[in-house]
Amino acid sequence: MTHKISGAEILLESLLAQGVDTVFGYPGGQIIPVYDKLYDYQDRIRHILVRHEQGAIHAAQGYARAGGMPGTVLVTSGPGATNVVTGIADAMIDSTPVVVIAGQVGTSLLGTDAFQETDFIGLTTPITKWSYQIRRAEDIAWAVSRAYYIAKSGRPGPVVLDFTKDAQTGMAEYREASCSFIRSYVPVPKPSEEVLEAAARMIVESRRPLLVYGQGILLSGAEKALEAFLDKTGMPAASTLLGLSALRSDNPHYIGMLGMHGNLAPNIMTQACDLLIAVGMRFDDRVTGNVKTYARQAKVLHIDIDASEIGKNIHADLGVLGDAREVLEALTSRVASRKGGDWLQEPGRFHAVEQERVIAPETAPESGPVKPGEVVSVVSDVCGREAIVVTDVGQNQMFAARYSRFRHSRSMITSGGLGTMGFGLPAAIGAKIAAPQRPVCLFVGDGGLQMTMQELGTILQEQVGVKIVLLDNNWLGNVRQWQELFFHERYSATKMVNPDYACIAAAYSIRFENVESRGELRPAVERMLADDAPCILRVHVAETDNVFPMIPPGKSVNEIMLNEKEWFTNGN
Amino acid sequence: METEKLYEITAYTENQVGLLSSIAGIFTRRSLNIEKLLVYPSTVEGIHKFKILTRSTEHLIRAVVLQIEKKVDVVKAFYQVNDERSAREIRIVQEFLEERERAHGQDDIK
Repeated sequence: MTHKISGAEILLESLLAQGVDTVFGYPGGQIIPVYDKLYDYQDRIRHILVRHEQGAIHAAQGYARAGGMPGTVLVTSGPGATNVVTGIADAMIDSTPVVVIAGQVGTSLLGTDAFQETDFIGLTTPITKWSYQIRRAEDIAWAVSRAYYIAKSGRPGPVVLDFTKDAQTGMAEYREASCSFIRSYVPVPKPSEEVLEAAARMIVESRRPLLVYGQGILLSGAEKALEAFLDKTGMPAASTLLGLSALRSDNPHYIGMLGMHGNLAPNIMTQACDLLIAVGMRFDDRVTGNVKTYARQAKVLHIDIDASEIGKNIHADLGVLGDAREVLEALTSRVASRKGGDWLQEPGRFHAVEQERVIAPETAPESGPVKPGEVVSVVSDVCGREAIVVTDVGQNQMFAARYSRFRHSRSMITSGGLGTMGFGLPAAIGAKIAAPQRPVCLFVGDGGLQMTMQELGTILQEQVGVKIVLLDNNWLGNVRQWQELFFHERYSATKMVNPDYACIAAAYSIRFENVESRGELRPAVERMLADDAPCILRVHVAETDNVFPMIPPGKSVNEIMLNEKEWFTNGN
Repeated sequence: METEKLYEITAYTENQVGLLSSIAGIFTRRSLNIEKLLVYPSTVEGIHKFKILTRSTEHLIRAVVLQIEKKVDVVKAFYQVNDERSAREIRIVQEFLEERERAHGQDDIK
């Protein structure tokens, strides 16, 4: 006699087999059987009821980015499914492991325009690593084990399981499935000895090497391997936005962040190095500026787990396919120990210019309104660099990235590739649930907060201790900055009339601090960080402050604006 | 300026629902027109073959082929300008699958 259970129960057993203990979701008609069974699993699976499905997927992303395990999303068909599409696209471009389980109409209704039917596989195929429609209860355990294996292996990404209602209610025997091999799929390619030798030779022969790294370091757990490689070779290293926190901010080899609003030193040295070693990064256009002039003087050694990234945007003289940690360890053992020499004196010059012209006026102004960089700097200081920093998108994101200091890995969670406004608040909720012992500080603008502000309800219901730092300038600041600099100050649709945030906080029973002036800032931040309860710290920041330095779109990475009027020149 | 030529892309894949639109989507994103498309069982047991003719530069074709091969259900993808016959490809596909299953055991592909 075989023991049969419902598809809904097989799903939950399969999730437990994958180690899932937290699910972000929202119920609806075509997923009710799963929710019904979830009632019996409340002691083993914590369900976080969000206020909108977009909140569920961004929370799952924050959970995955902070904790390193896949995030799980449970939603209904039709609108429930389409509401997570933005987050799936975000997870795809930022390589975040999430598994989305969406209800679907019964198989007999597929293709008939049934109530709340949508072609979810068709909608998500271009933005998922894998998607599969489960039409029979017998296939559930198999599909779930494949889904988690694909989501987290190799270069991680989102997976969709479209779960028909009759598969949820159908009865089948549950047999635990575990997937660790798919014959057509090579998640972690192994570099050959010859390629590693050639890469080591390039490193040994270089005089002015620069290493640039991305999220691949965090995803492969290569933080220590990177440190060891830098200690041995003595070369400087710079991070992309998503690579931040992989190295401690005070690592002696670390010279800052790359890209449009990055630090002067790494951007200028990109155009002066003789070898550019790129590890686990994909040469996004926000990093490269004009690709035609990018690092033309240098040989490029590109180390990545994804073959399709090598040579995609920037020509690689040598590509090394493999896991960042394995490749860095292999290279460290193949190169001789050496000191950096004069080349290592270079960053200091550029740091001094940036400190005087950009950083000091932004983080330590003596008068005038509170500056956003100043807020980030004070928060980073008061929490002793211990916090997980989550950002929304726009100026708040760039200020948070530029002025946060990191001591621990996986401490910067931001929407990089897709640039999704509204990402911040739900992602911070997910991050706090994944890492409850750490402070989680969200930097968010008035625009982005109002895109997913309904998730304050999730904070209320689950009492998630997120610290929300609202950099309120009553503008859509990033677009306003572009309008000021590149569109003749024609401020089209960027001025915001905002609600009274004190009332909003009160409505959700969330503690509220208001900062209008410099003297109030530090005490308010200290009060905010004194406990683990949710809090909104609203800071009225300089309304027309801009993020600098800035490499304007289409310019080379050494064509840098220091402020609205001045450009960096190598003599100053 | 790189010259455009007519390229033949071949991909050996699992026989999975939705893979055709998934592969077609890669061409759409790059604004590539498919001149000719054939999908049929290959001479490798259980493996399907896509044959796609498209006009583009080699740089773009190379990127497209790597993005096709990146799909979980795609075994191998190739491109060529002229009609170099596929015996070499078939040998590569067979050897790849044999090597994978020797190392990991049988795949329970549905």
